[in-house]
Amino acid sequence: MAQENSKPTVLIVDDEEMVVTSIRAFLKLDTDYEVRGFTDPEEAVRYLESCLADVVIADYVMPRMNGIQFLTRAKQLQPEATRVLLTGYADKQSAIQAINELSLFQYLEKPWDNAALLLVIQGGVERSQLFRQLREKIAELDAAHSNVQEIQRRLFRAFM
Amino acid sequence: MAEDRAQAGFRDEAVDLDAELETANRKLAEAYRMASLGRLIAGIAHEISTPVGSILSNNAVLRRSLDRLREALADTSGAGAARLSEALEVLETLRSLAAVDKIACERISAVVVGLKTFARVEEKEFSKVSLNDLLRSTLVLTHAEYRSRIALETDFGDLPEVECYPQALSQVFLNLLVNAAQSIDGRGTVKVQTRREGEAVRISISDTGSGIRPEDRPRMLQPGFTTKPVGVGTGLGLSISREIVVDRHGGSIDFESELGVGTTFHIRIPVRQGGKATG
Repeated sequence: MAQENSKPTVLIVDDEEMVVTSIRAFLKLDTDYEVRGFTDPEEAVRYLESCLADVVIADYVMPRMNGIQFLTRAKQLQPEATRVLLTGYADKQSAIQAINELSLFQYLEKPWDNAALLLVIQGGVERSQLFRQLREKIAELDAAHSNVQEIQRRLFRAFM
Repeated sequence: MAEDRAQAGFRDEAVDLDAELETANRKLAEAYRMASLGRLIAGIAHEISTPVGSILSNNAVLRRSLDRLREALADTSGAGAARLSEALEVLETLRSLAAVDKIACERISAVVVGLKTFARVEEKEFSKVSLNDLLRSTLVLTHAEYRSRIALETDFGDLPEVECYPQALSQVFLNLLVNAAQSIDGRGTVKVQTRREGEAVRISISDTGSGIRPEDRPRMLQPGFTTKPVGVGTGLGLSISREIVVDRHGGSIDFESELGVGTTFHIRIPVRQGGKATG
């Protein structure tokens, strides 16, 4: 899976163009993150099939595929990415239920507060990068461990 | 003599009762109007909160960007070209955010217009309005409800201005639009079409919902009749709509329906009301 560059990537999905534009402008000002905005969740799913994202943010109420359905797909495609749901006051209950099912990192109520959003995203980036590093280290350890075992076997045979 | 007095007495009482009934009817219609608006409140709040969220966020970005811009422009350290390109980039971002703010404010305005149309005090006189515009305002109020699962198609024909009570008609449109949405289980489509038909205007609202059972059809427009579960339907919406369209505007309301396919309601309103308000 390709990472477009070494900058952390934030994916935003909201059927309202104005929300995507506003969040993207805000993140551009305050962070160095690569921001990918989508108004069509299907398109966002296709993006996730081939490109890494660190944080995935979705609005709950969307036509055709709602935020929870989208984040479920996101979890299947990239389980290490951090998932965030944007909800209106009326959908808070559904969001809370999703926290467990989806291992949602956070949900944020709309209208969102920029400072709160930033904190969540920064935390989310840190979290997903830690998970990735952990997985890589474990793989390295496993490889090293297999090497050691192989060497042990050879030594043993040599002395038999 | 005594009989005449008795008859006069009965007549007076009848007139009084009639007046009371009319007042009660008006109060009921008013209560129904408030109830239907109340049901939409959550959706309307959401409709406003989205553009407001954008405007607030953009405003914060604007203030910080202006600081950056000032720094870039005041930099006399000689890093000219880099600062200039930074300043230009900031300006570009601000321009696109200003465009977003305009759209956001227009969205909020549209909600306000929709609410004002609905909230007008009881109309005593006819107004000449574009029914297409009236429908558009009403659709703003239902937008949030529809957005998540119902595709809306509009087919607005060329219409003359119609003499009517706009607030009352918007109530009728709202009633039909809400019914259409409620008849659809899960996802579906609602189509709104307007056409001029001679000296009248036809508004048709179709849905891809469950349809109306043949045995229910004769009673659809009667007060108190509802096919909706308790707490959802009052059985008043269509009968009040009928009263508004037929009694107050001299128009007609009818429908076609097919089980499992959907329902279409047609409202016809005469373009001219013959000069006198029927109150």
